[in-house]
Amino acid sequence: MNIFSCILKKPDNVKVFTPDPQFESAGRMLHAEIDRVFKRSIAIREVDCGSDNAAEIELANLSAPHYDVERFGISFVASPRHADILAVTGVVTHGMKEALIKTYEATPDPKFVIAVGDDACTGGIYNGTYAVVGPVDAVLPVDLKIPGKPPTPDAIIEGLLTLMRSAKKR
Amino acid sequence: MTGIHAHYSALSLPAEWLIREDATTISYAVPDDQMPDIAEILLALESRLVWIFCTEAADQDLFILWYVFELQEMRKYLVLVVTTNKPVSLAKIYPAASRFERAISDGFGLHFTGSADNRRLFLHEAYPEDFHPLKKDWKNAPISPLENPVPYEFRSMEGTSIYQVPVGPVHAGIIEPGHFRFSVIGEEILNLEIRLGYLHRGIEKLAEGCSPEHVVRIAESVSGDESVANACCYAMAVEQICSLSLPPRALYLRGLLLELERSWSLLSDLAGMVTDVAFSAAASRFLILREVLQRACTQLTGSRFLKGIIIIGGISQDIPDGLLYEVKDTVMQVRTELEKLLSWTLSVPSVIDRFSTTGVVREPFIDPLALSGPVARASGRALDVRSDHPYGLYDIIPVSPVIKMTGDVLGRFALKGDEILASLAYINELIPLIPNGSVHIEYEIVDGYALTAIESPRGRTLCYVRILGGIIDRFSLSTASFCNWLALEHAVQGNIVPDFPVINKSMNLSYAGTDL
Repeated sequence: MNIFSCILKKPDNVKVFTPDPQFESAGRMLHAEIDRVFKRSIAIREVDCGSDNAAEIELANLSAPHYDVERFGISFVASPRHADILAVTGVVTHGMKEALIKTYEATPDPKFVIAVGDDACTGGIYNGTYAVVGPVDAVLPVDLKIPGKPPTPDAIIEGLLTLMRSAKKR
Repeated sequence: MTGIHAHYSALSLPAEWLIREDATTISYAVPDDQMPDIAEILLALESRLVWIFCTEAADQDLFILWYVFELQEMRKYLVLVVTTNKPVSLAKIYPAASRFERAISDGFGLHFTGSADNRRLFLHEAYPEDFHPLKKDWKNAPISPLENPVPYEFRSMEGTSIYQVPVGPVHAGIIEPGHFRFSVIGEEILNLEIRLGYLHRGIEKLAEGCSPEHVVRIAESVSGDESVANACCYAMAVEQICSLSLPPRALYLRGLLLELERSWSLLSDLAGMVTDVAFSAAASRFLILREVLQRACTQLTGSRFLKGIIIIGGISQDIPDGLLYEVKDTVMQVRTELEKLLSWTLSVPSVIDRFSTTGVVREPFIDPLALSGPVARASGRALDVRSDHPYGLYDIIPVSPVIKMTGDVLGRFALKGDEILASLAYINELIPLIPNGSVHIEYEIVDGYALTAIESPRGRTLCYVRILGGIIDRFSLSTASFCNWLALEHAVQGNIVPDFPVINKSMNLSYAGTDL
């Protein structure tokens, strides 16, 4: 067996899954919108400000094989300086407020902020307690809220589609 | 049972100090001046201090400190209860005590005499100096944060060519916030100091004054990938207070949910580890399996994170047998795929090269730092709450802990792989045994307190609940991550900075579960 057959051989232990038609069609629509608004692709920087890590898992899941949103022109980037969109999760704690503002300031204009999950959208069960500043819009201007505990990958994609459609009108 | 008697005779705590014995603990009231001496004796008996928490005494100026010890072969936790306002630090005897004491100082304003580290822990600079949120006379309300606070003081390292690398709280990946301060010579890590608390949401105070039912949802929000474990641990405490025994079907279904959560949660760790050594082909396949399990979670409960299913007295909705057998098939398919995938990954030289001898947690650190879960088991210690202090279903269908001896990233990878295989096999075994019947029982909330323990995917979780007048008077939770972060500080020493991500992922500790 030469090296090429090694590379080209389809591994026998892969179970192929069928893509979810609803997710695929939302993804393709989103791809078209991104093409129109941003020319090809958008870059998202995630900031956790008080989440219980479930929303992070779902955002990271978008890059996993079942969803693989890079196909639709969405990538998650390591630095806010490369980002078009800040995806903020969790209620904003006193500990994270400063870091969130600095991350926002480091993101070049034009930029969008989306709040991902119930706590980020409304403050949820933490509203009015000592440890939190409030929902994300208490600190930054928020362009879109995606509710959920946490929102599913489908809901996040639907949310981004709404954001792109409203961005086009601006 | 011989173990218990041997320990007690060696300890010789006076019988009149015994204040209570329940299903999970044996508690003694200890005079505050004798606590350090007793701690020394307990240390000689190879005990582990696993938790210290604080409650307020009826007398305004006094506080009750609860020292929770785990002794070899002893099924119940030994709890020493000290009523004092001038506690002495036990950090020199049990290093794990230091961070528990700092947390208590933050919450209640207690000063521990002889403590080497008096810095605040979960209260960051924005909080006023004399602010102690867990005191009863302070009502939960928004505070006005300080404008120009004094910055936190990190340990400084001095010497020729030592430099510091600050990382976080916002990291490069899609992960939770925390600050890592590396002191480095060349590429080698001389010291790592981890600062957390960024996610402090005031959960313990939030639970006070709430109905016991509502606090299940609060416990569930502590850490998303351990939501069943935390909710279950809390529910078990309330059930113990109210002397409830669950219907058998509920017990089995909870066992199923706990093991399902362990499986999908640990699969993320495996995927993370191989990602960090650039073996993305395997990472993708681990993630496929995790997604399959998370979809099974949705099938069973309607939530990908199994949220909302645990309630006091059982589970919120029955799961039909047909669905359970569907999930049984899925679980066995995942198990077959995972076996192949693990043996493939562990046959790749570049993976072994990066995993082997990297980030070693040495066995002698386990007791002093109160490490638990996969971190302890990969370093050769069979510590597992499921077998050491059996609860729920594990009393009926026991599990035997998996261990590995090497303590490095490779050990933790292989261990977590084996644990998922064991969990999936356990699910497969238990589904045909699930009895018929109701899944929750009627109950009446009574006043009292209880301490319970559970093995979450990351290790030992302890929960203390006190109900007064039918509402939660004190809720405190200590997850495995709280202690296990110290393992990370030790494991990275002598490693190179580029290996830090894979060492961190091999433990994959919860930031939210530490900060509460």
